[in-house]
Amino acid sequence: MIAGAPIVVDGVSKRYETPSGPVAAVDGVSLTVRPGEFISLLGPSGCGKSTVLGMVGGLVRPDVGRILIDGDPISGPNPKKVALVFQDPGLFPWRTALDNVGFGLELSGVTATRRREIALGLLEPMGLKGFEAKYPRELSGGMRQRVAIARALALDTPILLMDEPFGALDEQTRLLMGEWLVEIRRRTARTIVFVTHSLYEAIALSDRIAVMTARPGRIKDVLDVPLPYPRALDAPEAVDLHAKLWAQLREESLRAMDGQR
Amino acid sequence: MRWGVLDAVFIPPPSAVVRALGWTAADALPRLGDTLVKTLLGYVLAVGVGVPAGLVLGSRPIAHAVAMPYVVALYGIPKILILPWIALIFGIGFSTAALSAAVFAIFPVVVLVAAGTRDVDPNMVTVAVSMGASRAQVGRKVLLPAVLPSVVTAMRVAMVFALLGALLAEMLAGNRGMGFQMQRMALAFRAPELFAATAIVSVLSISAVLFLEHLNRRLGRWR
Amino acid sequence: MKIWLWRALVLLAALVLWEAAARMLNPILYVGPSRLPAALGRVLATRDLPPLADHVWLTLAEIAAAYALAVAGGLWVGFLLGLRKTLGRIYEPLLAALYAVPSVVWYPSLMLFFGLGPASKIAFGVLLGFFPVTLAVLAGIRQVPATLITVAESMGAGSWTVFRKVMLPAMASTMVGGLRTGLALSVVGVLVGELLGARAGLGYVINYAYGLMMTAEYAALVVLVAAAVLLLDGAGSLFEARGKRGGG
Repeated sequence: MIAGAPIVVDGVSKRYETPSGPVAAVDGVSLTVRPGEFISLLGPSGCGKSTVLGMVGGLVRPDVGRILIDGDPISGPNPKKVALVFQDPGLFPWRTALDNVGFGLELSGVTATRRREIALGLLEPMGLKGFEAKYPRELSGGMRQRVAIARALALDTPILLMDEPFGALDEQTRLLMGEWLVEIRRRTARTIVFVTHSLYEAIALSDRIAVMTARPGRIKDVLDVPLPYPRALDAPEAVDLHAKLWAQLREESLRAMDGQR
Repeated sequence: MRWGVLDAVFIPPPSAVVRALGWTAADALPRLGDTLVKTLLGYVLAVGVGVPAGLVLGSRPIAHAVAMPYVVALYGIPKILILPWIALIFGIGFSTAALSAAVFAIFPVVVLVAAGTRDVDPNMVTVAVSMGASRAQVGRKVLLPAVLPSVVTAMRVAMVFALLGALLAEMLAGNRGMGFQMQRMALAFRAPELFAATAIVSVLSISAVLFLEHLNRRLGRWR
Repeated sequence: MKIWLWRALVLLAALVLWEAAARMLNPILYVGPSRLPAALGRVLATRDLPPLADHVWLTLAEIAAAYALAVAGGLWVGFLLGLRKTLGRIYEPLLAALYAVPSVVWYPSLMLFFGLGPASKIAFGVLLGFFPVTLAVLAGIRQVPATLITVAESMGAGSWTVFRKVMLPAMASTMVGGLRTGLALSVVGVLVGELLGARAGLGYVINYAYGLMMTAEYAALVVLVAAAVLLLDGAGSLFEARGKRGGG
């Protein structure tokens, strides 16, 4: 079992330069993620949740504040500790599914036989056995995203960051992928930070949900989800939580829409 | 203006063309070879300079924004206009034709490769960086394979342009190749030989393009 | 803002380099930009060169004729092949094959048929300009979304109405692109024809200058023609942009 690593986000802010002047994407976000927990970042469009994830992943540098992973401040991408999955699977079209999964391993010099072994071991429980020699062009959207997740898992990191990974999929596939993610979660103890704008997903998957305000993003509230897996979303506690979340989120969504005018 | 007077001088009977083909073929082979060598030389030059130039322009947005209008403008100017000048400097014959082939072929190469480089999905680069890829690794393992289809397409297109440049130079200021021969036959009203020569060059060009397209398809099985 | 500055600098640097190089090398072969205005003056004043105006008119007339024929022919063949699917299937591979052959190989044959007069230049201009127009029509027809036609037919539109009110507007921007390219190629065709062997026209004058090693005058003419072609292209792209805003 992989032990998850703790993440401390400490007062980070980020501004972007746009043609119409500087825009504050994130303003003073602080969050502590316990090792091994599944936490969702929920918020309206443009609230900066992807920016926060980018900062934890070392792809975006905060203007103010710092982020600690396992007690150490980060200064860039850290493939030994953090793996990312994006909404766009970003598979390399010239590589087979197998070679895509092995990409991260290839970068750190793992041998070809070992890569193949690891990749097959990851693809099989995902239901992709027999598809390892296929090119992304030949795979469906859901399959591609599974390959992307396998690629991230191959790095064997204590932290997994996911930025709306199921956003581009149709509803049925989303539901199935959610179930499957819970299954993966059951087998490992990774820390997972999951960005989403779907209340359903947040409630179904996470231990805690951090609600963000509209831009500039701050943490508005953090709610616990003390429900056992597998989760029944018609259970009274879930419905209750849904109402509470929506109450908070609705306010921010309206504010986000106003801000776009 | 000669209109409508179509006698045997202008449209020769097919038998005459076939006979001429036989005669021309023997004579034409060295000429064809000559034209081919000039074309290939110019082609290699155009690709050797054009591909790196396109890669550089495509990967640096500022350089692209600054230089592209000039490239497009130069592309739009009929290049035949400078052929007489090249002929003045390099004389009648080989060098002029090879240089002309290069000049004609280099523009589509630069434009196509630059466009292909710009089109590389930045998300793929982000993925690689997030996995700890160094700049060299990003270049080798992501950018190069991503850009390869555009480069191959550019090389395919450039071939026809290089041949065009070589033939044009031969017609304007040549002394040996197929272009020169065709011009000579036309002015001497030797229609069967001219048609035969035209057919030979057309077949050559179509074969080259078909071959390059086949290569293109084999290299791009994943698309 | 900065980009404009860089572009201007690049242009300036190029001109300076050109001038410097030209001064260092043989003045008969290499002409720097500083000598061009004077040479242009000599060309326009018809000193030592045939009268430019008459030849320019002839070239323009040839271009106009070639373009008109190329567009007419291209539209006709394009719609014929595009709307009659069976014909299209037979002849499209032929078109594709012809595209793989550098157009200049046809010119000597055209010279044989039409002689050295304007007819061969017009014919070559037609040949070059015809393909982009045809291909644009074919591509335009192909990219009309089938749903648009279905909607129109479901509202009771007959096939002529569908053609006029649905297909043509939907094809508009692709067509304009083809018409633009066709013009550019017709111009090139006429110029190439004239340069390869003519007794009159702009190409003839350029050949005359280069034949007598009047390099400065030749260079001035080339710059003039290049500028004219660029202006024409620029006007064409403005026109195309206007058309695109309509939404095709």
